[in-house]
Amino acid sequence: MTDQTRALEERPPDSVDLDLWESGSNTPSRRVPPQLVIGASITALFVGIGVLSIFWTPYDLDIVDVPNQFLRPGSEGHLLGTDKLGRDMTSQIMAGARNSLLVSVVSTVASLVPGVLIGLVAAGASPFWRSIIIRMTDIGVALPGILVALVLATSLGPGNTTAIIAIMFWFIPTAARVTMAPARQILSRDFVEAARAYGRSRKFILFRHVLPNIGPLIIVQASVMFAIAILIEAALSYLGIGAQRPTPSWGRLLKEAQPLIGQAPYLMVIPGVTIMLAVIGFNLLGDGLRTYLDPQQSAKGGGA
Amino acid sequence: MIRVLVRAIGSLVVSATMGSIVVFLLLRMLKGDVATVILGQTATREALDALRNEMGLDAPLVQQYFDWISGVLRGDMGTSYAAEFDIAHEIWGRVPLTFILAFASLAVSALVALILGTFSAIHVKDWRGTWVDILSQIGIAIPSFWLGLLMVTLFAVKLGWLPAGGYVPLTEDLGAGLKSLVMPVLALAIPLSAVLVRYVRSGMLEVLDEDFIRTAQAKGLTLRRAAWRHGIRNASIPLVTVTILQLGSLLAGAVVIENVFTLPGLGRMLVVAVGGREVLSVQSLALVLMLMILTLNFLMDIAYGLLDPRIRERRGSASIT
Repeated sequence: MTDQTRALEERPPDSVDLDLWESGSNTPSRRVPPQLVIGASITALFVGIGVLSIFWTPYDLDIVDVPNQFLRPGSEGHLLGTDKLGRDMTSQIMAGARNSLLVSVVSTVASLVPGVLIGLVAAGASPFWRSIIIRMTDIGVALPGILVALVLATSLGPGNTTAIIAIMFWFIPTAARVTMAPARQILSRDFVEAARAYGRSRKFILFRHVLPNIGPLIIVQASVMFAIAILIEAALSYLGIGAQRPTPSWGRLLKEAQPLIGQAPYLMVIPGVTIMLAVIGFNLLGDGLRTYLDPQQSAKGGGA
Repeated sequence: MIRVLVRAIGSLVVSATMGSIVVFLLLRMLKGDVATVILGQTATREALDALRNEMGLDAPLVQQYFDWISGVLRGDMGTSYAAEFDIAHEIWGRVPLTFILAFASLAVSALVALILGTFSAIHVKDWRGTWVDILSQIGIAIPSFWLGLLMVTLFAVKLGWLPAGGYVPLTEDLGAGLKSLVMPVLALAIPLSAVLVRYVRSGMLEVLDEDFIRTAQAKGLTLRRAAWRHGIRNASIPLVTVTILQLGSLLAGAVVIENVFTLPGLGRMLVVAVGGREVLSVQSLALVLMLMILTLNFLMDIAYGLLDPRIRERRGSASIT
């Protein structure tokens, strides 16, 4: 995907504003940016549908009903139509949300924890060790998630696990990088010097002083990673190395729709629009959070 | 300059070596038994042993790795197990198409991003700037392969203007070749330019604040003309930086897009090889794709240093600390 590293490197490290929490909590009357509202609503809708699909979908996912095949969207009883075998598209899309959510949440959370830790350690390490860690993250970032997934699929076979491990391969070094630069900035500040003079250990400083200060950045990063993970999951399933039937997946719906493009284009349009909306939701949420938690940055952007 | 060059080459070699180890180990994750993967669970012991022996898999891991790498350096990547073709030869024949695809997309998206980014920076306060923002937000969220499918539906199936897939080599028939590349290039370039346009816009906004733009305006140029004439070059530098960061994703995107349009490039070969669980092919293909990314990074790094001596200095000192 061409759109993946984008937001990961969106803000150059030097421009990171580190007073996010302080400036945030002291101004209760601050306006909530519209992106945040729209993003949060789309995301909530998406999560809600995904969760709902665990308990209820209009039709059974794999119920085959050939007489009712290729019903157009809007047909009676099938809001989004049916596919080649008469399976209900609404149900498939709902269940696809569940799978996208699963892959993106697991891969993001499982990457942020070790990634942020590595970034913190690197920030506090000696220049020699730091340069080694940076070199290793360079390689991780240079290996695109899809490439790693293809390699992994050869040894592990296709499936969600392959997708998640591949995404982590890429997210962990990214998270480390995103953490390291601002963490180093915090480490150079006076209050850290004071803590050091007071006799606090390096570990104490990193976890009690640095981590809370870069927390907002990590939250923003997480929402961006969700969006990217959704895109990668879709691409992998489309290539046939992500989720396999019966696991529902938007990318796989697109793969199945491709040969039928002339006959039933809606089968291809609907999952694509859904993916797009979900990604827009998470991206707006990230943008909105960034603006909300970091009003200085937004003032700069809006007033310029 | 020589120091910069030496350092860049050094880091290229180190990254390539470590990357190749990662690829190698990823493919050995399945208890190291590649033979079972290829022949399946039902294979007899004798068949497995014979294959292991043939592929050198009974050797220790370290030796296997060095055999592979020394083979790659000699241009010998072995033969594909199922299809019986020479892997190195096959890869070599497919490099140009993937390269053209990636490079054309890069050029198109950089151009679009420069134009739209400058436009939206000039019109930052009115609806025209907002429209570019909204478009870029949508463009970023579109999966490139889906965009490809949409274009196939419209331009190939409905209108019949362009072929739905396949590739005619440019050397055989330039017109037909270009036609078969239009949709793949656009599918890759549109989402990428949506990413790049944001950087151009914010870079341009900063540039428009600079004294020399004010000077140009004082000398009678309109803001728009000043931006196009003096701003673009300055706003291009951040664009180069971001583009470097996008190269990996761009090639990964090319892998997917080649499969949408059944283009006979490296990505198509990779996905077919993964489907057939061709460990040797996948191993070398992944290495070649990675080397392409690293080499492009390297070239961009050098170009960057030549473009702007200030950056060269700054980057040089930054990497020491």
